Amino acid sequence: MSERERRFTRGDLLRGGAVGAAGLYLGTGGTALAARLADGSVTAETIAWLTWFDHFFPQQLAVTKKLTGISCHPKLAPSDSEIYTTIRTTGSQFDIAAADALWVSKMNKDGLTQSVDLSSIGASKQLYSAARHISIWKDGSNSMAFPNGWSTVQIYYNPKYVKTRPSSYDALLSPKYKKKIAYENEPESVLAIAGIATGAKIPFNQTLAEISRSKAWLKQLKPNILHMAEQNSENITLMKNGDAWIVLGNLGVDTRVRDAGGPLIKTVFPKEGQIGWFDGEQMVKKSTHKDAFVPFINATYAQTGWIAKNFIKNGRPMFNEKAYKILVNQGYKARLDAFHYNNPDLIFQAHLQGPAKNSQAITDAYNEVFGA
Amino acid sequence: MTTEVGGGSRVASHLGRFGGLVPAALYFGLFFFVPFGLVICFSFWQDVNYTVVHHWTLENYHYFLGQPAYRSTMWATLWMSVAATGITLLIAFPFSYWLSRYVPSGLQKPLLVLVIVPFWTSYLLRMYSWLNILGTKGLINTFLEKLGIIDQPLTLLYSRWSVVVVLVYLYFPFAALTLYSSIDRFDWDQLLAAMDLGASPLKAIRKILVPQIRPGIITAIIFVFIPVLGEYLAPQIIGGTSTPMLGNVIDNFQKEALYARASSIALLIAAFVIIVLILFRKSLTAKEAYGA
Repeated sequence: MSERERRFTRGDLLRGGAVGAAGLYLGTGGTALAARLADGSVTAETIAWLTWFDHFFPQQLAVTKKLTGISCHPKLAPSDSEIYTTIRTTGSQFDIAAADALWVSKMNKDGLTQSVDLSSIGASKQLYSAARHISIWKDGSNSMAFPNGWSTVQIYYNPKYVKTRPSSYDALLSPKYKKKIAYENEPESVLAIAGIATGAKIPFNQTLAEISRSKAWLKQLKPNILHMAEQNSENITLMKNGDAWIVLGNLGVDTRVRDAGGPLIKTVFPKEGQIGWFDGEQMVKKSTHKDAFVPFINATYAQTGWIAKNFIKNGRPMFNEKAYKILVNQGYKARLDAFHYNNPDLIFQAHLQGPAKNSQAITDAYNEVFGA
Repeated sequence: MTTEVGGGSRVASHLGRFGGLVPAALYFGLFFFVPFGLVICFSFWQDVNYTVVHHWTLENYHYFLGQPAYRSTMWATLWMSVAATGITLLIAFPFSYWLSRYVPSGLQKPLLVLVIVPFWTSYLLRMYSWLNILGTKGLINTFLEKLGIIDQPLTLLYSRWSVVVVLVYLYFPFAALTLYSSIDRFDWDQLLAAMDLGASPLKAIRKILVPQIRPGIITAIIFVFIPVLGEYLAPQIIGGTSTPMLGNVIDNFQKEALYARASSIALLIAAFVIIVLILFRKSLTAKEAYGA
């Protein structure tokens, strides 16, 4: 157990998480449901949740079940586009689905999901104000999703090897960095970064001409790429070992490398801008357990202790402000600052992850460069 | 009346002859032909705005076969599959020979169990463990540095050969088990007789043992070559940007929900596999193929 984990004890979780959740839950209408559960007038429900692995802990779901009677079968999601197609083709099979930024808007507009009144979810009071008022998720007075976490993607470099600060994406094309750069194997994000580098108007939704320019840029970059990782933890190891000198990654790569016993890593927010994502949970329109959405999300996301633990374990900022305060009290201020946790406005300045009209051309371009 | 009885008996006779096939036909139909048929259909459809549109076209095949980039990926895939299969067999054959001929029968089974022990752990975990073996601060580099053989760590990861090594490790048990079951049935007196008649041990193995275990060798090749051909995780995790296989191209299309594109490449691999199987089958006699 590392120093940072040791300080976060089971007792903290219980105090800050489950008990807090129970209090908040009962205070926001859970009492009635609990009573109905007790007298048997409400049948315990089981919902299906299509989400990412880092959105929950099994223990968190156990607490939710205890509080609400709602069991959950989480199914791990591979990508936004696959979530979109899965929800579209499976109808009522899933009740809740996660998605990123502009994907949420698309799913909602395409009639796959249904907006909710955030104020009906007590746990939303724990969120930063910026997260409660995300303009692209607004649907009248409702929100298309319950916000979870976020990050921008920037350049991290090892100053031992990289002497000139790579403040622009074009700096990555230097032959000095041959096989020294790592990123993740995500076609749409890679093309979006190339799009920013080559001046695409909407990097995640490029025109065919823009895609062509991005592809040419990626061809120049390819000799410098050491590895396109399946998981971002691989890139932490690559930086720790000195195999990669530059990594494009979510917030906190520098801290995670240091945690792993690696060297000093510096951060650059490239002058052309950054891509970014923020995700949330949506109510599936064809769900047969719509009544379970509010109590489930409320009980799960009010467990502040687990949300805080989630930040520590999975390493990216969450939208939960109460968890921030708990973590500050636990002595994590420096770590929180390194992840820009308390600055959620940062994400809204980034080019946001979303669907593309030319998605096939984007993946074709990626495969033609990195699939050969 | 006579006709009805005759018709009834024909039905009964047909039921008797083919009734037993129904479970197999249902199983194959549901779990093979229907999904395979869907993949075929998808490969001739189009991906438009994250939707597979049922518009019949050859565009996916035109695109894939018309891109020089993918031709080099095809060759790389073939090259790595052949290399991995060849090396796996080169290691598995002497191992199975040794196990069957020299290890006391009471120890053979426990040793075989050891061969399959890695299967008890997750495939992904086994793959990631190789990062700790081949990495710059991994087992091999640390060992070589401690022995003073190298000053600077060797770059062992993210190359074609590192992918081949991991593929050999992953598929060795398939080849070893298949070859062992073939060699174990061999009558060793024939080998001794050949050597009594003047053949060297190697010549005796080549002329007497190998021809008799040919079906086992071909089965081992099939068991290794075909899954390696569709591999995507080993080149993704162990390989660099110059080592993709066709499986990675399919995975990238799949990730972005481009199922029509992915299906067309999957079907091209399947077609190639079928050709390979036909060639292998043709190389066997009926007796060898069916063990009659």
